[in-house]
Amino acid sequence: MTWLDRENPARLAVELTIHERMLLASLLEQLVDVLFDDSDPAMQRLLPDAYRDDEEAAAEFRRFTAEGLAERKIANARSVLDAVGNNVEGVQEPEDRVIVLDDVHAKQWLRALADLRLIIANRLGIERDDDEGRTDDAAVPLQQSYQWLGELQESIVHALDK
Amino acid sequence: MAQTDNETHLRETVSFDIPWMTVVWNDPVNLMSYVVYVFRTYFGFSREKAERLMLQVHNEGQAVVATGNREEMERHVEAMHEFGLWATIVKAGS
Repeated sequence: MTWLDRENPARLAVELTIHERMLLASLLEQLVDVLFDDSDPAMQRLLPDAYRDDEEAAAEFRRFTAEGLAERKIANARSVLDAVGNNVEGVQEPEDRVIVLDDVHAKQWLRALADLRLIIANRLGIERDDDEGRTDDAAVPLQQSYQWLGELQESIVHALDK
Repeated sequence: MAQTDNETHLRETVSFDIPWMTVVWNDPVNLMSYVVYVFRTYFGFSREKAERLMLQVHNEGQAVVATGNREEMERHVEAMHEFGLWATIVKAGS
C-alpha cells in the first residue's frame, strides 16, 4: 500500500486504486463539512476540551485555539483531497495510482486519516477499547472504511519508520 | 573545600510554581503505532520511551507526556489535538 520511493527515500509512494481514491475523496469532503459545523457531535472529539474540570479555562483555550486548529485540520484534509482528487473521474493508467508524498504531505495525510477515523468512530458509536460500535447491515460500509483508513495510516507510519 | 564548576550555567529564572502537565488519554480510535509515531516525532522521545508511554496510555488510561509552564503545556495540547490525540492540561498535584 505504501512504500519508500526507491529513487528518493525522503519520499513515500502510496498506491491507491481508483475506487479507494474516490472513497477517500468522498470521506475527506465530509470531514471538511464537519470541521465547518461546530454543532456536529464529532467536533467534541476533534477539538476536545483542553481542561477536564475547569470549564472556564477550557472555554478560554477554545476561544484562542479552536479556529486555528479547525483551519489546520481543513488544510490537512484539502492537501490529501488535492492529491487523490485529481482526475478521479478519468481513466487511470496503473502508474497514476501511485501518489508520491514528501515529508510535509505525509504528516498531513496521517493527521487527516486520524480525523476521519475519529468522525467515523463517533458515527459508529465506538467509545471504548474492544468496542466495535454499530455492526448492523447499514453500518458495514462505514466499518469497512474505518478499517481501511487504519490500514492506510499504519502503512504510512511504518514506511516513515524505516 | 568545595569547588564550583565553571561550566555550570544557571537558568535565568527558576520558578517555585507547581508545574503543569500534558496528559494524553486513552481512546479506542488511534492506533498504537500512530501514537508512538506522534510521541517520537513531536516530543522527540526515543522509541523505547514513546512505546512505554503509549502502553501506559493504553493500559492505565492516561500518561503524563510533558511537564512545564502552562503556556508550554497549552502548546503541546493544541499540537496533540491537531494529531487527533485526546490530551488535556492538568496542574500537578491537583
